[in-house]
Amino acid sequence: MSELSVNHLLGIKYLNKQDIQLIFETADHFKEVINRPIKKVPSLRDITIANLFFENSTRTKLSFELAEKRLSADVLNFSSSQSSVKKGETLIDTVNNILSMKVDMVVMRHPNPGAGVFLSKHVKASIINAGDGAHEHPTQALLDSYSIREKLGDVKGKKVVIVGDILHSRVALSNIFALQLQGAQVMVCGPKTLIPKYIDKLGVKVETNLRTALNWCDVANMLRVQNERMDISYFPSTREYTQQFGVNKELLNSLNKEITIMHPGPINRGVEITSDVADSKQSIILDQVQNGVAIRMAVIYLLASKIKQ
Amino acid sequence: MNILIKSATIIDSKSEFHNTTQDVLIENGVITKIAKRVTNPKNYQEIKLENLHISQGWFDSSVSFGEPGFEERDTILNGLKTAAASGFTAVALNPNTNPVIDSNADITFINSKAHRNVVTLLPIGALTASSKGIDLAELYDMNTAGAVAFYDYKKPISNPNLMKIALQYASNFDGLVCSFPQEHKISGNGVMNENITSTTLGLKGIPALAEELQVARDLFLLEYTGGKLHIPTISTATSVALIREAKKKKLDVTCSVAIHNLYFTDEALNDFNTHFKVLPPLRTQTDVDALIEGVKDGTIDMVTTDHNPIDVEQKKVEFDYAEYGSIGLESAFGALQNIFTLKKTIEILTKGKSRFGVTATSINVGEKSNITLFNPDTKYTFSKQDIVSKSNNTIFENETLKGKVYGIISNNKVHLNS
Repeated sequence: MSELSVNHLLGIKYLNKQDIQLIFETADHFKEVINRPIKKVPSLRDITIANLFFENSTRTKLSFELAEKRLSADVLNFSSSQSSVKKGETLIDTVNNILSMKVDMVVMRHPNPGAGVFLSKHVKASIINAGDGAHEHPTQALLDSYSIREKLGDVKGKKVVIVGDILHSRVALSNIFALQLQGAQVMVCGPKTLIPKYIDKLGVKVETNLRTALNWCDVANMLRVQNERMDISYFPSTREYTQQFGVNKELLNSLNKEITIMHPGPINRGVEITSDVADSKQSIILDQVQNGVAIRMAVIYLLASKIKQ
Repeated sequence: MNILIKSATIIDSKSEFHNTTQDVLIENGVITKIAKRVTNPKNYQEIKLENLHISQGWFDSSVSFGEPGFEERDTILNGLKTAAASGFTAVALNPNTNPVIDSNADITFINSKAHRNVVTLLPIGALTASSKGIDLAELYDMNTAGAVAFYDYKKPISNPNLMKIALQYASNFDGLVCSFPQEHKISGNGVMNENITSTTLGLKGIPALAEELQVARDLFLLEYTGGKLHIPTISTATSVALIREAKKKKLDVTCSVAIHNLYFTDEALNDFNTHFKVLPPLRTQTDVDALIEGVKDGTIDMVTTDHNPIDVEQKKVEFDYAEYGSIGLESAFGALQNIFTLKKTIEILTKGKSRFGVTATSINVGEKSNITLFNPDTKYTFSKQDIVSKSNNTIFENETLKGKVYGIISNNKVHLNS
């Protein structure tokens, strides 16, 4: 059986095309499992996984926890508000303390870019990055591509626009790497203040007009504006943002084709996306959530099989 | 101190023995004889080393040691030992201590620590009280105690009127004002150069613009006020161009660049290695090329190690939380020789002394002996065992460097590495 080229999932940029293919094929199998009456397999009965969330999360945390439980792994949950991090303990010490209780794998969300990479160099456990600052969120990008593949048959050759706050987004960056690796074309669209100045060097198109972007694409991935990460107002008001970068039904209907709408959540209804769009048949937002569990099961399963060797 | 140096190749364009191999006799700290063969008159200590070369003593315009307040990083005495082992006979010490060096008494304390040391320590006082950027420190009083310049280390003076007043006030006593080139509203929470690498890593970027705005501002101010301005550690191509233009206008401005900014680009940060987290940040190849050109044509007056020991607790953390800085004294000679010829390297290492109040002495009979001894050809991989500093935060770890230092003769004393 083939295996991943990496021992950790720190970011999409550390994966190759075959890795993504393998994760998708494994996820196909697990997606079938989670739709059975008994949604559980005994694969990881001997594996213990710690979910370390140093930053708030609802869906990613639940999705990982569910994926772990569906694989029969033992699960430990930890969030920074309950931890010694606030007492001044270092990240390495915190994680090593948990690992000394015989934990095999760490799923970590952290506010600092590179926290997963840093940890992987200093502790002995398989690390899955569940989002590190504005760096990467690899499982989100994998489930996004997987959902495109499910809806449109293939990712290769598709045109995908990522709309919104690109500057503060790990989802955007991971998606760019994942989509390009699979042969899709990528565009980013948003106010110039929220687009990194040098992003075109990654080989993506940059567009500031939403209509032009939507007319170009097959898929639009709408991102949330991350007000909590902003040190200054990058646009004058939510109202003005929505006027320029919000997707509504009227705009969708006026396009020359029917495009697919995605959103990594949580949605700000009426800001980047209106309710009638979010709930329409063009939207695959809830499919993304379901696929998230299958993708995370696949990633955990594949990394665990490397530990067992 | 009496010493006979045997068979040393003299690299000193101010010496009549430049590029020749000679014996050098030093008696009571003064060079008394230079000749092909000097016999040892009275059983003096003889220095005879493989491929021995000597030059004027080296100078570094920006080092930090930590004491007082951060002794875990390094102490003044060990810092001076590091300087001596690395070939430096004079170092200008930044005031980034706790408390900040911002008074006559503080300068006197620093001087007392370095009293009778083989290395000459040149204290830099803070420009503003506690380096808070609000009110001027007692510049004149520090000057009388021996402060050679005034600098809020790595802290921009964000109020342009304060910088204007500092330049005007210090000109009363010919004081040297230093200004860190960064407009902090533009640099924001940035932690590395803004470019494709910062974008790929999701790290906040410090645009080159942040530095260039501040350099341009300070040059405008200098043109208005007169006085003496030093801009430590520039890092961008446009900064070089701005300062080149200012020098054409005869403004009294000097500047320096850190060796690591001549050596690495921001691509080195690819792996989130905090040893590459320095300020100003590592920039692009275009910047590196322009900086090297600036050193060659004299636009950049000094190349500094910007030696800054940081203990492991402040470096072995998430990238955003890591302190800026790298030690640099130990690797300086070997790294510079990877960029420049030996002749240029020595010229760089002996330049800029007068700006910081040091009199240069050449290797000629009758001069005070202020000499660095080295082998320019030794190649080695720089590793922890080459570090004398208390802290190990070196940006040059595992680099193949060229040239090793044997020691120094200075202040009527000798330091030889074992």
